[in-house]
Amino acid sequence: MIGAHAANCAQWAGYSMSPIVLVENLTKEFRTFRRREGVWGALQNLFVREYLTVRAVDGVSLSIEPGEMVGYIGANGAGKSTTIKMLTGILVPTSGKLVANGFVPYRDRRHYTRHIGVVFGQRTQLWWDIAVIESFKLLKEIYSIPEANYRQRLGVFSEILGLNDYLHTPVRKLSLGERMRCDLAASLLHNPPLLFLDEPTIGLDVVAKDHIREFLKEVNRTERTTVMLTTHDLSDIEELCRRILIIDKGKILFDGDLQEMKKRLAKFNQVKFFLKDRAQVARLPLIATDGISCERVDELTYLMRFEREQHSSAEVIRTLVNTLAVRDILVEEEPIEDIVKRIYLSGEVA
Amino acid sequence: MGAGTYPLQPRPSLVGTSLARVARVYAEFVRVGFVNTLAYRLRYYTGIVTYFIYVSVYYFIWKAIYADSASIQGFDFGQMLTYISVGWIIRSFYFNNIDQDIAYAVMEGKLAMDLIKPVNPQFMYIAQALGESLFRLGMLTVPTAVVLLLVYPIRKPASALHFTGFFASVLLSFFIVAAINFAVGTFAIRLQSILGLLRAKYFLLELFSGLLIPISFFPRIFVDIFAVLPFEYISYVPVLIYLGKLSGWGIARALTLQVFWILVLFALGDAMWRWSSRKITIQGG
Repeated sequence: MIGAHAANCAQWAGYSMSPIVLVENLTKEFRTFRRREGVWGALQNLFVREYLTVRAVDGVSLSIEPGEMVGYIGANGAGKSTTIKMLTGILVPTSGKLVANGFVPYRDRRHYTRHIGVVFGQRTQLWWDIAVIESFKLLKEIYSIPEANYRQRLGVFSEILGLNDYLHTPVRKLSLGERMRCDLAASLLHNPPLLFLDEPTIGLDVVAKDHIREFLKEVNRTERTTVMLTTHDLSDIEELCRRILIIDKGKILFDGDLQEMKKRLAKFNQVKFFLKDRAQVARLPLIATDGISCERVDELTYLMRFEREQHSSAEVIRTLVNTLAVRDILVEEEPIEDIVKRIYLSGEVA
Repeated sequence: MGAGTYPLQPRPSLVGTSLARVARVYAEFVRVGFVNTLAYRLRYYTGIVTYFIYVSVYYFIWKAIYADSASIQGFDFGQMLTYISVGWIIRSFYFNNIDQDIAYAVMEGKLAMDLIKPVNPQFMYIAQALGESLFRLGMLTVPTAVVLLLVYPIRKPASALHFTGFFASVLLSFFIVAAINFAVGTFAIRLQSILGLLRAKYFLLELFSGLLIPISFFPRIFVDIFAVLPFEYISYVPVLIYLGKLSGWGIARALTLQVFWILVLFALGDAMWRWSSRKITIQGG
């Protein structure tokens, strides 16, 4: 699979073919102490501490080619953010090899961070009480961005992301969507070849999400910026990434092409249908048989779900139109959310 | 959003860390610290009142103590009043909350935001605090000085030379306090919650710096111990220069020792940061 990506990268002449991120057997353990309950427990805690070692990231290996956009997903606590924090030089790995953009992030943090962009959706890297533009000016000095480059990039970002309306507003007065747009611009002012995004669309409305996705696509297309992003919103991944990495309990469960994953792992098909009238509802049990489930979407809309191997869509639809008076029918693939939910629940890629 | 609007640019190359560039970066942090404080300027109006009350309390306490004696430990009442007033006036400039800032950054998981920037965290925190202090110089220190000078018979500096030495010494005090606070703040990374520790440090610093009473009032043994510690260089020493109790070579020696302590404390803070930052654990996210 990585080979396929390498081939895609080959069209970018002059770009190094070696991976921009290379991770081997990366492991991070946290030692936390177990807190006992109650007053007596609290007293005991003062003197005797029992430690628990939690392995947040457990032998992760991956490699990312320049120009790729990779989606990194996993349930809460699966180890996504811990991986990103090691890749950005914030956390020191317990063991394993890690090279990004030619640096060992935690060892060369100050040189390394010069050439990466980072956005944590839950936090802001901008100064809370000052106007956005003041933070940008500070970043310009931090990264020694030449004046002309700075102006040009700020101009383009403002245009694409619509920042002009609030560049002079303090960050604390911005909405989440506005703040995220500013944070994204901040992370790219110095034109880093490598961008890490940790839940960049968390809590955003549809318009803001769309803005941000379009912007990322544009940056990736024109600057060949390599992007690694974590998200809980799988539509982010479908919109942006060809490649997906799934992590669970600290281990990589899947690493490969998104479409291929869907093809391989989609088990169900679904048929959405719209009834002609309410009288049909009583007859619904007639079709929900033999491994075909039928659930209500709204008053006249229902959704049938069945295993692809067990039933053919054509046969299911034939039974459906013969049994019920139906106004409209839509055949759909199993949504990626459902596939991923199944992987999270079972902890394996079946 | 065509390709034309967003042409490819050369990536910034590995720029050498020239001293001028480094200076520009941290000068920018000073500026941001200054601008950031603008948001809280109202706070300083109440600050002037608070400082006035502090000094007034000490005025009455010392007045009562001096009722029976003209001079204690070489300080007459006028000198003592000046000592206390000047001490509080300069405190409004040199103090900062770097330790608390780091503690909160750790508790709220914001420390990660400091680490993703290619800067020296120690210089960054201290530069921002300097911006804040420069802001306070205009908004708090000077107004407080004016109010106190109008109300109490505070003495003038011993001479123009003494005032110059005093001025330089106060600037160095800022760096001593900032370096101590940074080093103390790094404990938060390993200990997670250090607000209790910071409270203790706050009171000890007020006592050991000579803000509350002149160091020479302590028992001999403490005076000797404090002489080899940095704390008395925060408040006691600058005010002695103002009062003219240090002169000539005494001033030069005091300033040199301040610089010495700044270097030692910076090195300590740097070592503490290195020691702690390997143990960073960031909750959540």
